[in-house]
Amino acid sequence: MSAEILAAPSSGIAPVGHYAYDQVDRAFLHDRVEQFRDQVARRLSGTLSEDEFKPLRLMNGLYLQLHAYMLRVAIPYGILDSRQMRELANIARTYDRDYGHFTTRQNIQFNWIRLEDTPDILARLATVDMHAIQTSGNCIRNVTCDQFAGAAADELLDPRVHAEILRQWSTLHPEFSFLPRKFKIAISGSPNDRVAARFHDIGLVAKPGRHGTVFDVFVGGGMGRTPIVGVHLRDNLPEEDLLAYLEAMIRVYNEYGRRDNIYKARIKILVQALGAEGYREKVDAEFAAMDRARYRLPPETVAAIRARFGTPALDAPSDAAERLAGARRADAAFDRWVRTNTHSHRAAGYISAVISLKPDGGIPGDATSAQLDAIADLAERFSFGEIRISHMQNVVLGHVRQDELHALWQELGRAGLASANIGLIGDIIACPGLDYCSLANARSIPIAQKLSARFANPDLQERIGDLQIKISGCINACGHHHAGHIGILGVDKKGEEFFQLTLGGSAASDAAIGQILGPALPEDSTVDAIAHLVDAYLVHRTDGERFLDTYRRLGAALFKDAVYALA
Amino acid sequence: MDVRSNRREAGGSSVVTANRLLDGRIVWLAGDGAWSGRIDAAHVFSNDGIEAVIDATARRQQADGVVGVYGVQVRDDSTTPVPVTVRERIRAFGPTVHPEFATLTEVPPDVR
Amino acid sequence: MPLLENGRIVEDFWTTIGGDELLPPTGPVIVPLDRLEDGLARPAGEKLGVALPPDAEIAVLRAALPRLALVGVTFPTFRDGRAFSQARALREHLDFAGDIRVTGRPLPDQYEFLLRCGVSTVQLPDGADPAVWARAHERFTTAYQPAVRDERAEGFGLRRFLA
Ligand code: HEM
Ligand code: SF4
Repeated sequence: MSAEILAAPSSGIAPVGHYAYDQVDRAFLHDRVEQFRDQVARRLSGTLSEDEFKPLRLMNGLYLQLHAYMLRVAIPYGILDSRQMRELANIARTYDRDYGHFTTRQNIQFNWIRLEDTPDILARLATVDMHAIQTSGNCIRNVTCDQFAGAAADELLDPRVHAEILRQWSTLHPEFSFLPRKFKIAISGSPNDRVAARFHDIGLVAKPGRHGTVFDVFVGGGMGRTPIVGVHLRDNLPEEDLLAYLEAMIRVYNEYGRRDNIYKARIKILVQALGAEGYREKVDAEFAAMDRARYRLPPETVAAIRARFGTPALDAPSDAAERLAGARRADAAFDRWVRTNTHSHRAAGYISAVISLKPDGGIPGDATSAQLDAIADLAERFSFGEIRISHMQNVVLGHVRQDELHALWQELGRAGLASANIGLIGDIIACPGLDYCSLANARSIPIAQKLSARFANPDLQERIGDLQIKISGCINACGHHHAGHIGILGVDKKGEEFFQLTLGGSAASDAAIGQILGPALPEDSTVDAIAHLVDAYLVHRTDGERFLDTYRRLGAALFKDAVYALA
Repeated sequence: MDVRSNRREAGGSSVVTANRLLDGRIVWLAGDGAWSGRIDAAHVFSNDGIEAVIDATARRQQADGVVGVYGVQVRDDSTTPVPVTVRERIRAFGPTVHPEFATLTEVPPDVR
Repeated sequence: MPLLENGRIVEDFWTTIGGDELLPPTGPVIVPLDRLEDGLARPAGEKLGVALPPDAEIAVLRAALPRLALVGVTFPTFRDGRAFSQARALREHLDFAGDIRVTGRPLPDQYEFLLRCGVSTVQLPDGADPAVWARAHERFTTAYQPAVRDERAEGFGLRRFLA
């Protein structure tokens, strides 16, 4: 079966879960690689200055980081197939130092890339229909999506077809490639927000309407130095107006967004300045004035793109659930992993499995090329060759037969990928921080490593329950610290690392921005401080209460004492 | 250039650094005007004259094949130059989370 | 400064008038937006263009547009993409059919975007290599979204052929 799936586009069988390229798409990618090759040549010859080259390389995902260039490869809506994953492993082995890093925006980053190799790397990516287009730069970035899309039991609609439409529409968009600042869109099809829709420049929630798909639209959310929960702009936007309305929204931003100060250039600042009403009026005026026929998204177009998505044939044996239950009874460690690392599936006998990239004491989101290959093999064997990257920096196999879950778990254990900590305190988000990032104030990864080692005991983790720690090495907030139940922000004091704690943030449907607890702490007391917070919570929580809820019920004072009274 | 990385006091001494254009790797300006991948080869300049050195070096960066030239203050009390900030120590000696990539012990970074 | 049209260097018949220069009574001139009235005061048959600063709303041209043969939009730096929206709005909202000319400091890598937003001519920045610009126009044969030029659909979905 898997061989057929992999042979996908030419044999007419599309890869499960994502769009199948055809010759036109491939020719386009080829042209894009050659364009970049030419740009690199112009840079090396000095025709392009660094200043002029920088936005061009950024639009191909190439950053200059602390130690080397970093290449960010797009994983559109977080979905890839085994063949693509193997190529990522190849690139890690051939051009990097044998590992990659999955990001909160469902991309993968390679940290040790050479500029002169980049055109060749992009050419190799293109052989498996992948690219790094618009993974950086002041343009519309990779569109992110729910990691359980098309599988989740609570989903109203699979948003990936629309995510693909947005990917195509935003690719080399003639008007919106030089916006005031970067532009991030997320789309979900579930009422349970797993994409942080309210923390994006535009968040879309797709749902079935009376006459086809409609969208609820959020705008102007974001983190960074001005964290803001997005504004609910409108409900029930009809599918055929989706592109027209987005064009209007972004055109208003392109025209009126600030360009004098990069810290005030995101759309969230514009929406705040105009007020939600003021912004909505301008968008509506633009929407009313534009040639709507030109931008109409007809149902035939949606259908044509949908037809290029493979759908898995879900036919589990009728006793699949029973056999899973039996395996859980027989194996306590497996039972624990199932409790934490799975998500219910819409189809009987199936389940989604989350592969944690957060081993105790490890680097959140990192995977070696051997692990990438192992995941590719397991996806082929257990989940139709389809792999998803979550914004929590983990990997998801979407469609696993329940009776095969135990075998999958055993294989994961052999590859060092069976940590049972999803949603728990060990499931930490951390940005690259000062170990790699040229903008950083402080190191994020070592704090994550120390925390996950400290809370390694799985019983303790389960007892603590749902607790999200998110770490950013500077105020740009790539580690989403504002949205962490406990957020940790690196600050710089005279060249030394300090960490500021925030409590009470959430990226879910109850989106909130964490509040600063008190003065920043030196590196060596930060981990202890978190332990004190956790202790205080365990003492004061009521039955079944999450850390976040205890904090919301009791307020900051108690936690403040826990951290600062002892210091 | 980020002001933090350019932080220097009036007294003291500094080394000059950049990234190589071709592979992005960190380099340090040595006494003979060549660029080295090792901070222990860097020439230590007194902060009095450092701005002029940085300016002159920045002007020839395209010819030298480097980008982002700036100065890094180093501690006064060590024989190998040791930057005063954590950031520059990480640049000089490698990411702390991968000791195997330490710059002063590694074989030349032939990652291919 | 050479003028580029459809990837080729063409002759520039226009004279650009600064803020305080004398306006010649005849001949094609481009005036700054704040001198539009002066330009319109010339005889009706004389060709008139106006240079729009990036922060101007195109609606200010609505009344004058029938008299205008050219609207200039500008890139103070290549990073400032407002001119893309201005050009596109001129074509789409005001149905402007005259010349839309780009000045300032665009990059050749933006040329196809400019054309697709409705720009017709580019005044090349100093030192620009027209060959690099021409190449930029031939680089891609497919685009993935509707644009002003109404290109022919290519197969299914949103794709279209670039002319
Ligand atoms: C290592 C190189 C990186 C650099 C130079 C970088 C740079 C930045 C900057 C400057 C911002 C702030 C933008 C603004 O607020 O206007 C930002 C935000 C963000 N970055 Fe990164 N980043 C890097 C890596 C990452 C990684 C590894 C992730 C994912 C783990 C990531 C995900 C994000 C997210 C989610 C945001 C905040 C959300 C928002 O846009 O408001 N970035 N980044
Ligand atoms: S939050 Fe700051 S330190 Fe972390 S990756 Fe983003 S820019 Fe770098």
